[in-house]
Amino acid sequence: MNEQEITLRLENVTKRYGDFTAVDNLSFNVRAGRIFGFLGPNGAGKTSTIRMIVGITAPDTGEIELFGERGVSPSLQDRIGYLPEERGLYRKMRIVDQLRYFAALKNIPSKQADERMDFWLERVGLKDWKTKKASDLSKGMQQKIQFISAVLHDPNLIVLDEPFSGLDPVNVELLIEIVLELKAAGKTIIFSTHLMETAERLCDDIILINRSKMVLGGPLREVKSSFTRNLVAIRVVGGNGVLNDKDLVAKVIEHSDELEILLQENANPQILLKNLIESGATISKFELIEPSLNDIFIEKVGERNVNA
Amino acid sequence: MRKFLAVVKREYLKLVWAKTFIIGTLLAPLMSIGFMVVPALIFSIEGDAVRVGIVDQSGKLFTPISASLLTGKKREQQNSRDAMINSVNQSQQEQARKAAEQMGGKFLVEEVKTGDKSVEQIRRELDARLIDQSLDVYVVIPPNYQQDDFQLFARNTSDFIAQARIEDALNNAVREVRMAESNLSREKLQDINREINLTSKRVTETGVSADSGESFWLVFVVGLLIYLVLAIYGQTILGAVVEEKETRIAEILFSSARPFTLMMGKLVGVGLVALTQLGIWVVSAAILGVYGFAQLQRSGVDITFPHLSPVFVIGLFIFFILGFFTYATIYALIGSMVTTVQEGGQLAFPPILLLLMALYSAFPVIRSPNSDFSFWLSILPFVSPIVMPVRLAIQTPPLWQVLLSILLNLAAIFALVWIAARAYRVGMLMYGKKATIPEVLKWIRQS
Repeated sequence: MNEQEITLRLENVTKRYGDFTAVDNLSFNVRAGRIFGFLGPNGAGKTSTIRMIVGITAPDTGEIELFGERGVSPSLQDRIGYLPEERGLYRKMRIVDQLRYFAALKNIPSKQADERMDFWLERVGLKDWKTKKASDLSKGMQQKIQFISAVLHDPNLIVLDEPFSGLDPVNVELLIEIVLELKAAGKTIIFSTHLMETAERLCDDIILINRSKMVLGGPLREVKSSFTRNLVAIRVVGGNGVLNDKDLVAKVIEHSDELEILLQENANPQILLKNLIESGATISKFELIEPSLNDIFIEKVGERNVNA
Repeated sequence: MRKFLAVVKREYLKLVWAKTFIIGTLLAPLMSIGFMVVPALIFSIEGDAVRVGIVDQSGKLFTPISASLLTGKKREQQNSRDAMINSVNQSQQEQARKAAEQMGGKFLVEEVKTGDKSVEQIRRELDARLIDQSLDVYVVIPPNYQQDDFQLFARNTSDFIAQARIEDALNNAVREVRMAESNLSREKLQDINREINLTSKRVTETGVSADSGESFWLVFVVGLLIYLVLAIYGQTILGAVVEEKETRIAEILFSSARPFTLMMGKLVGVGLVALTQLGIWVVSAAILGVYGFAQLQRSGVDITFPHLSPVFVIGLFIFFILGFFTYATIYALIGSMVTTVQEGGQLAFPPILLLLMALYSAFPVIRSPNSDFSFWLSILPFVSPIVMPVRLAIQTPPLWQVLLSILLNLAAIFALVWIAARAYRVGMLMYGKKATIPEVLKWIRQS
């Protein structure tokens, strides 16, 4: 699949509920075959945006373009799989009947649904629960069934809203594995989370929203490198003169076996490396420290919250 | 369309295979048979004979009284069926009297000779017999019975049924004696006392037919049946909507199909279940009815099967569906406003009240199906789904009135569906608290 192909495009999308603006002039692209992380604190407008993407609500202004078509029509909905954050199953209905019903609502005949259902139930380890009622299943099991209902109709776009909340670590790993398999199969995946470690592991692209507005976005790599705060970790023998250069180095923080060097603003870490080598120091580690997604999240969201 | 059918199918199968449907379908006819048979059975129970002592100081009244108490029952029994049929329209007092006549049961009459004892002496003896339970009631007839009070003594003076019978017997006896004293022959007396026979006949386009009240019951049962099914299935809709909201399934559903499709699928699915149940009842009632009436006729009871015109059956079907969609839509709207079934139960009071009003307004309509009042009720949405079938059962109204009623109902349903679909779309995704009416109005305006 062509990585430049756009699955979803949001253009100046705004959604208001009464006086409250839930989503404010939001624009971004989701590229095909990639995992798109939709990040933000609680109440930032993630679920409101996702509801528009899956066609539950329509934007007040702005455009949503999905699979090259404008607006999310019911036939396009059949190509989306959606695992909502607030989710549930019919308590007294057998798992097999529920999954058949959800598949039927995506225009999948029950025979086809049965075949795929068997595959997925096997995959998540719930094969023996097929004819049980939902009320007999634990919360984690129910969540895996809900996940199956989001992928059973083999959608091109899979939208997962906080898919890992409430799952134990083993099942989180299982789900991550499955998401990566789906990506390998060419599916486009949007997932919203506030778990930055998971997002960092999975996402190709991210967007961070806060207070209805986009804060930053782009490929994860670029986002992170743009946040490099001139912090270098080095393990070095010698070169003390270089580290005392006040034009270059703002601060030296000593750790047990390495130093953390905070460079002066606008100072180039490459000059530091060059000077160290020229001074004859032995360098066993020289690393530009990237902030974690968590740091970026806290920095951007915290900053916004203080300013507001 | 395929999604709509999937919703219909799920709702239908879910409900039809549920235990409550099977039990309800079986139980309701048994219960309605119970409602009709049990009172009849109670009426026909002959309690222990009431032992009556009569102290006749006049010396004239004992014979006619005992004759009246011992034989009076037969005549009353013939009228009991009519009494039951009419009882719905009668005042409480009248009903009690009728019941007394029917339930009079047996009497054992005993003449207490005064001999040379004083009345006080005899009363002491009889009081003792009342207390040791060898006598139930005694009556003291004064020597001058034309003026003085009769007196009745009993252990249990609240047995109004036996007392009413005794009072009747006393009155009859006195009347008979008075007439005899005016030198009328016994035959002449019987002639004077003979009651008339009133047979009611129903005039329809197809001619005159005897009708002794069967059609009243039919009409009443029709009204009651529609009321029950609408109330029960309204609650079913409410429960189903609240479940999808409570469990947050609505979010998944809305990402797969339009809320309107989902809501209508639900209404149609549940509606088909209601029709299935109604169909089972109507067919089994028809079979039982035909069989039962045939049996009754064979055993010599003068009864005819109520005439069911095809117009009535079609009308019943149409107005049932109109009523179902009217009320089901209201219940769906309520379901989308609340967060739990309990909250829904509180909000469901107004539609239940509307339904009850419709059921009760059927009574004046049964009495005068062609009055202005009946006309307005039978075209008014919310009420007409019960009233119009009642009118149809009694006498086919002019076609334009039926069509007008259908038209107004359809208009009301379209308006309700329009409102409910909008509220449904928003309300189903609102979690946490019950919506207020202004909020719902805002949803309707916004969407």
